[in-house]
Amino acid sequence: MGAHLARRYITETETEPDPAKPFGFDPEFGFGERKEREMVASQAQMNLAQVPVLQRDYCAHHLIKLMKCKRDNWPNFLACKHERHDWDYYEHQDYVMRMKEYERERRLQMRKKRVEEAQAA
Amino acid sequence: MRISLFNVTATIEHGCRGFQKLGSSSFQGETARLLGAFSQIRAASGPSKGMLPGPYPQTPEERAAAAKKYNMRVEDYEPIPDNGEGYGDYPQLPDRSQHERDPWYSWDHPDLRRNWGEPIHWDFDMFIRNRVDTSPSPVAWHTMCKHLFGFVGFMLLMFYLGEKFPSYQPVAPKQYPYSNLHLERGEDPEKQPEEVKHFNI
Repeated sequence: MGAHLARRYITETETEPDPAKPFGFDPEFGFGERKEREMVASQAQMNLAQVPVLQRDYCAHHLIKLMKCKRDNWPNFLACKHERHDWDYYEHQDYVMRMKEYERERRLQMRKKRVEEAQAA
Repeated sequence: MRISLFNVTATIEHGCRGFQKLGSSSFQGETARLLGAFSQIRAASGPSKGMLPGPYPQTPEERAAAAKKYNMRVEDYEPIPDNGEGYGDYPQLPDRSQHERDPWYSWDHPDLRRNWGEPIHWDFDMFIRNRVDTSPSPVAWHTMCKHLFGFVGFMLLMFYLGEKFPSYQPVAPKQYPYSNLHLERGEDPEKQPEEVKHFNI
């Protein structure tokens, strides 16, 4: 934990990716074929459910299910464990995908550097 | 022109005749003058001429007399230097506030921390315990300054470094659908947003 900060600021300042900047490599590079992410809830549905803007991500359909369950079961706040777990699990998967994207970007940067050094030599 | 106070309480003796004659006059000087016209009545208000401050003492005898007047020892008495501001022979006392005096000693006036007959500083009303405090700081002044500015400077430096080298989690930015929520963010609905594709990984 924090090794990426040491790499970014001290040891590998050129190759460590900066999450504030957009990632430049082609998304399909290195993959045979890549599946697109599927958005299940439509914009109209999210509007009707009044989902906050920052939560309108690829897990929004689970969130809408959870909101509905909570509304139906109030005041029993212990009722929606299954829906909550589903939403949490998909949010977790989304975070793991973000981590993988970061790592992919980092490896591509290092590969780029190796290729350049090989060419220069 | 400030008049120093002595341990003299002002009392006015009233005679029945004088009081009726005067009605509701309240100025001491005026009362004294008017009452002085009647020989049976006199006022005992205000310091006598010998007790008031006088001109700057030139000779040692004048110094001795002034020291006696102010209830001080001749060795201790030092008049305020004559710079034309009109202090006269009033003594120069150390500029120490009443905070610095012993709180446990049984003063005659405990609130003022002063004994009866003690010479009063020119700025006594500034040096009372509610006001200016000249007592020394618990640690030397330069030490306090060093500690304070050192700490504040260090914190500012660290905040600056935190801005320059922010700490973050090693994750890519979050991916949102519908062209990064183009419509939900309130952007122009007519304008075609650029195509953004997200993939599973």
